[in-house]
This record gives sequence, structure tokens and C-alpha cells, in this order.
Amino acid sequence: MSDNKSPANDIEDNVEVSAPKEQSPASQDDSSPDSNSDSFADVAPTRKTRRRPENKPPPQETPETAVTSENAAQTPTQTTVSQGSSWGYWGSWGKSILSTATATVATVGQGLSQVIEKAETSLGIPSPEELSAQEEREEKTDAASSSEAEKADEEGYAMGGTMGMLSSSSIGMLSSISSMVQTTSKTVISGGLDALEFIGKKTMDVIAEGDPGFKKTKGLMIRNSTLSQVLREAKEREEQQTTENVASEMEKVAHYGMLFDEFQGLSHLEALELLSRESEAKVKSVLTTLSGDELVQLREELEQIKESFSLMEFDDEEVDDTKDDAGESFEKDLNEALEKLHISSTSERLCKARKNAFSRVTDIKLPTEAKQQEEDGDEQEAAVTKCTVEAAHSSAITSLAELTARSIEQFHKVAEMLLHSNSEEVTALEQAKVLSQITIVLCKEISLLSKRFTACLTTIGSNEKGEVLNPLITGVFLEASNSASYIQDAFQLLMPVLEVSHIQRTVDSGPH
Amino acid sequence: MAYAYLFKYIIIGDTGVGKSCLLLQFTDKRFQPVHDLTIGVEFGARMITIDGKQIKLQIWDTAGQESFRSITRSYYRGAAGALLVYDITRRDTFNHLTTWLEDARQHSNSNMVIMLIGNKSDLESRREVKKEEGEAFAREHGLIFMETSAKTASNVEEAFINTAKEIYEKIQEGVFDINNEANGIKIGPQHAATNSSLAGGQGGQQAGGGCC
Repeated sequence: MSDNKSPANDIEDNVEVSAPKEQSPASQDDSSPDSNSDSFADVAPTRKTRRRPENKPPPQETPETAVTSENAAQTPTQTTVSQGSSWGYWGSWGKSILSTATATVATVGQGLSQVIEKAETSLGIPSPEELSAQEEREEKTDAASSSEAEKADEEGYAMGGTMGMLSSSSIGMLSSISSMVQTTSKTVISGGLDALEFIGKKTMDVIAEGDPGFKKTKGLMIRNSTLSQVLREAKEREEQQTTENVASEMEKVAHYGMLFDEFQGLSHLEALELLSRESEAKVKSVLTTLSGDELVQLREELEQIKESFSLMEFDDEEVDDTKDDAGESFEKDLNEALEKLHISSTSERLCKARKNAFSRVTDIKLPTEAKQQEEDGDEQEAAVTKCTVEAAHSSAITSLAELTARSIEQFHKVAEMLLHSNSEEVTALEQAKVLSQITIVLCKEISLLSKRFTACLTTIGSNEKGEVLNPLITGVFLEASNSASYIQDAFQLLMPVLEVSHIQRTVDSGPH
Repeated sequence: MAYAYLFKYIIIGDTGVGKSCLLLQFTDKRFQPVHDLTIGVEFGARMITIDGKQIKLQIWDTAGQESFRSITRSYYRGAAGALLVYDITRRDTFNHLTTWLEDARQHSNSNMVIMLIGNKSDLESRREVKKEEGEAFAREHGLIFMETSAKTASNVEEAFINTAKEIYEKIQEGVFDINNEANGIKIGPQHAATNSSLAGGQGGQQAGGGCC
């Protein structure tokens, strides 16, 4: 894996380079080179802010190794995921693209970026070492993709292998790219570089949004689209599916993206992104006006703020799902933290969403428990039959969407208040730490909620067949994982806002 | 549920002119005499039909307070329509229109459709700004104009819908590049579906009628 390191940066660059025409002008100037670790001045866009600092020592923290190793380990999860969850909006054709593209993007990206690098001179021919490293990975990914993409794909596997071998010969770069295209062409119609760009762009999105196991490394990824775009696309696909399947059972399935939008989650996210991007630009322009000691000092201060955004680690294994205090500790933790921010920000709506969510759990549980107590059941029996596993699943997805939307609303309001009022009582650095705590509180609540709901599902679905129940449970866990990712991403959007707020405060308090 | 287009609107104007009330009347068909001060921005959404097409309006209701001005300016970007609201019973809210308009023009795209709204038309006895003055201002600056009452719901529907009609016409004329989301217009899943489901924004050519 260690020799994958340098190509890894190339992957990112490639993705950035390959899609700029789809970006709005605002984000275009964001595509500054990411490989420099001295990234202070180029405080680039949201995706930049999502990255954890690169100077972290452990090797798997570098984006590319994370991508490749995830890919290798990921394939089985993906199959289960796309089966029944409402998030599997890629449909069945999408599944094969998805798995193939995910597996190949590392290799494809590597090749493409090298082409771009050398495009000015001539068709680049990589060194033998590069090629053999590439070949190894191709073979690996070929194996993963073909076995998964299509079951009867033994031929394809063989072909992939052969082509991989070919590419190691002196035919050079282009053949290795084209071999990748050919092995994937069963699912992706090859269109030269366009196809590669498409794979690259889409894959980054797909990996980022659809991979439940990916959430920990997601912060490392660089995305071409903003989070709200990803979510909007997801919602639109769901809407489309709903339109297409009006009469079918799809109607009953709760769509996270659509619900999230109905709770105004998308709007708040978009607004937060606007504030974040604008703040980023401001920080950048302030930095260009400074020089000497002032610049050094400000950079140091901002770096500290940045650090508190990268330290946040949320591990949902740690969530204690045994406590049952009707959400008092959640409200207490949240309000205490908000107070420490010294901005007037209320948590009313968020706490209400949390209450709604947990009362939905109770609504499901009550009739079930009643049934267990008195088996002869008269009126209560009727209530029990009402709560189907589908209804419980729908309840769970609604609750997750509402709680996530309100969490993002909370972060949006915090951002507005941070920009609005320059508190003297607290430093931006302290606020950053508090916000990171809030993020953990929110993610824990999401995790707890999903555990409650899946426990309910298991109870009321004990008579259901596995193929009915399991996708529903997987779906809840998947959306919970996505919810936590969105919350963490929204948290990252606050970083430039705090930086601007810090600069404002420094200016207000006079030169030092 | 599915829509052909999504238009982003912003509502701007001095504090207390009735921006949030207009939104509430439009989305919920009710009037709330006492309203909390808006912090930053709040949102509303409603589906309307124009030319047989479902259009979703996503409305950003901004805070009118001066102290929020620098924040709310960030939200102008990517709006297809703006409702610029003043209060016909308060002359100063009318006098500030020029500033609002400059702000809006500077921070949004040049094609944004702006509807000037003189609100509180139910309070005829306290009127300080004549309807003709509003009309003249609108003519001078190329805006559409209406007097509304969020309380009686008079013209509220029309204000939002006429703005959307104007945007829709601009799309038909090819003034708006609907594939550029910075214009505040998004193509709905219906249209995207007819082309291909590969990428969200690709359905534009068919829907736009020669916008490219």
C-alpha cells in the first residue's frame, strides 16, 4: 500500500481537474492544488474544509490509501446496502456501475491524472515501477468488480486480467486506461475521457454518500459537489422513482431525502454553505492583505481553530443505548454547550424534533408491549396490527430526517449568530471546541435513535421473513450513518465562519 | 410532489414591512399579527402551476434588520426572483428602496426578476406612500409592482405567481440559462428523467426550448 501514496494525490487532482466545467464559477477557483500541506492560504471550498489535516502521521489517514483500502474491503457491504434500502436509488443498473466504478476509480484516476500531467509534452509513458504497481491494483480491483457487478461475469474477469497484463507491457499509458475502460464497459458505455471523468466524479459522490462504512474516512475525501447538491440529487432521484412507481409498493417506502427537504434541511444546508463559502473567501482575502509577523500570528491562530475541527472523532460504538432518560441529558448537554458559545441561539426546534423522534419510538413500542403482556388482547390487538414493520421503518426514516434537518438548522443559526455578534466573553477557539462537542452530542443521539428503532423493528418484525425485515433494518442504520455524516459535514462548514469571526474579533479589539 | 422547475426567491426589505407575514400567507394561508423577528433567514416552499407545469417555489425570507444585512447579502446569490417589500404606512421603508435595490442588483445575477411590493394595503387610513409613487419607482427601475395585504391575503398569491410567470417567460425566451444553478432555477426530476438519469442537470436542453 505504501507505494500507492503518490498516486493518491493524483486521484484527487484528477477529480478536481476533470470536472470543473460542471462547477459554478464560485467553486471554480476552489480547485487549488490540494497536495500542498501548507494549505493555509488556499482555504478552499467546503470539500477542502472537510479534509482532515494531512500532517497526521498514520499512513491510512492519507486520502488515497483510504480510498483504495476501503474499496477493497467495501464490496460486500455495498451489495447488501443497495438491495433494499431507500437510499439505493441507483437502482439495479446503478449497482453494477457503482461497484465497478468504485473499484476502478483509483486506477482510472491515477492514469488520467498522469495523462493530464504530461499532456503538454506528449503522451506520457510511466515508469515500469508505476505500471507494475498499477497493474497489481488493476488486477485486484478487476477481481472485486467483476465478481460483484455481474455474477456471470467470469469472462469479464478473465478479460480484465488479460488487459491488466497487457498494460504492464510497453504499450503504455493509454492502453492501461483503455483496458480499464474495456473492463468496465459492460456497465459504463465507454466514451473516452468523458466516461472516465464521469466515473471519477460520480464515484467520488457515490463513495461519499452511499457508503455506510465509509463515514470515518469521508472527511478525507474531496468532492466535486457540495453536500447540499449531493443531497438534492438524492432527493430528486427519489422523487423520480416515486413518479415512476406511482402505483407500486415504492409509494410506501419512506424517502429520506424528500423528507429531509420537507423539514427544510436542504435549505438550511444550502444557506450554511453560502455563508461558509463567503467566509472562506473573506479569510483568504484578509490573509493576502497581511504580511510579516501579523500574517504569521494570524495563521497560527487560524491553524489552532482548524485543528479543533479535525480532532472530532465520533465513534458510535461508544454510544450507550441503555440509558433512558426521555432526552433530558440530551437537552441538558446541548443547552449547556450552546450557552458556552455566548451567542443567543435557542435549541427549541431541535429539542422538539428529538422529542418527536423518541415519542415515535414509544408509539411503536407501546402496543407491542401491551400485546406481549396480555396475549388474549382485545382492542389493543387492533392497535398492534396497525404498526407494521413498514410503518415502523417509515417512522424511523422520518425521525432521522427531521432530527438531522433540525441539527443542520441549528448549525446554520449558530453560523448566522457567530457572524452577527462578536462575543468578547469567549474565543473562537473555545467556540470551535464547543461546537465539536455539540456535533458529538448530535451524532450520538442519531445513533441512539437508530438503535431504538431497529430494536423495535426486530421486535415487531419477529414473525416477518428475513428478506422483508433485514433491508428495513439495514435501511435505518444506513440513513443513520448518513445522517451523522451530514451533521459532521455541516460542522465542518462552520470552520471558515469561525475563522472570520475570529478575525473580526481581532480587528475589533485593536491591533496587537 | 414532482415539479418541472424549482425557483429560488428571496424576500427583502426593511424590518417590520411584513416579509414573513407575506410568506406565511402564501405558504400557509394564514395571518399572524405578531411575528418573531427573523434571524438571518427562514424558509418556505410551495408548489404552483404555470402553463400547466408544476413549479416549486423555494422562498428565502431574510431578516430586515440592518445588523443582519451583511449576512443576508450572502443569500442573494442564486435567486431567480426577489420580492422587494415596503410598508405603505411607513414612508422611510419606501425611501430605503434604492439601497435595497442596489444591494440586490450587486449581489445577485443580473436576470433576477424583482417584484416591488407595497404591503399593508388594508391600512388605507394610515397610508403614507401613494400607489402611484410605487408604480413610478417600479417603472423607473424596471420592476413589476403590486400592492398587497398579508392580512387580508389581497394580491399575495398574485405577487408570488406573477413573479414566477415572469421568470418562466424568461426561461422560454432563453434569457435564463437553466443549467446554471447560479440563476436560481433548477430543473425538476420530471425533466431530468426524460433525458437520462446519469446527471441531475442534463435534462435542460429539452425543457428550456433553446436556451443553449
